[in-house]
Amino acid sequence: MFVARIEGFITSTVRHPSFKNCSLLLCRRLDADGRAIGEPQVVLDQMSSGYGSEVLVSTDGDLARQILNDNTTPSRLVVVGLVDTIAREQ
Amino acid sequence: MRLGVVRGKVVLSLADPSLVGTRFLIVEPITAESLAEGGNPGGGKQLIVADHLNPGEGETIAFVEGREGANPYWPGRAPVDAYCSLLVDRVSFRGISGSGISGT
Repeated sequence: MFVARIEGFITSTVRHPSFKNCSLLLCRRLDADGRAIGEPQVVLDQMSSGYGSEVLVSTDGDLARQILNDNTTPSRLVVVGLVDTIAREQ
Repeated sequence: MRLGVVRGKVVLSLADPSLVGTRFLIVEPITAESLAEGGNPGGGKQLIVADHLNPGEGETIAFVEGREGANPYWPGRAPVDAYCSLLVDRVSFRGISGSGISGT
């Protein structure tokens, strides 16, 4: 799992049938200092995350299969929570 | 899933039986920098992606990487670790710079 920030979304008509009613957001992973790193990732969202939200993303394909109730889904990244605060030792 | 642009395709003369009917795309992943700049997206290291959706050259797709790429072949098994899961109509992306992490 990792913490990411929502920085956009995509629209798509032709998609795998398992994504039929999913919102597809673009996020970037955050490093320990809160800076966005890496390439934008498409995540499935059922939590109504908005632009700029910090979210917890699961990378477990089995979880995606359970959530979408479809064994054939080619997805891994699912938003599983919205971050309220992150407390770390300085 | 990462975003990518289709740059070409690979045609096999002989393939594993589980891959019959699968197309193979050459895909250039889209980096955050190229999305932010606008213009021609791309910039990542190209890879081969299995596909059933048939996008044209230059089209933007999203592809999943890892073991989940073989899920669409369930209950069969296929030696696939990157799979084109959707064709993108429009991308809306605005990077947020700096540290915005919540909390202390």
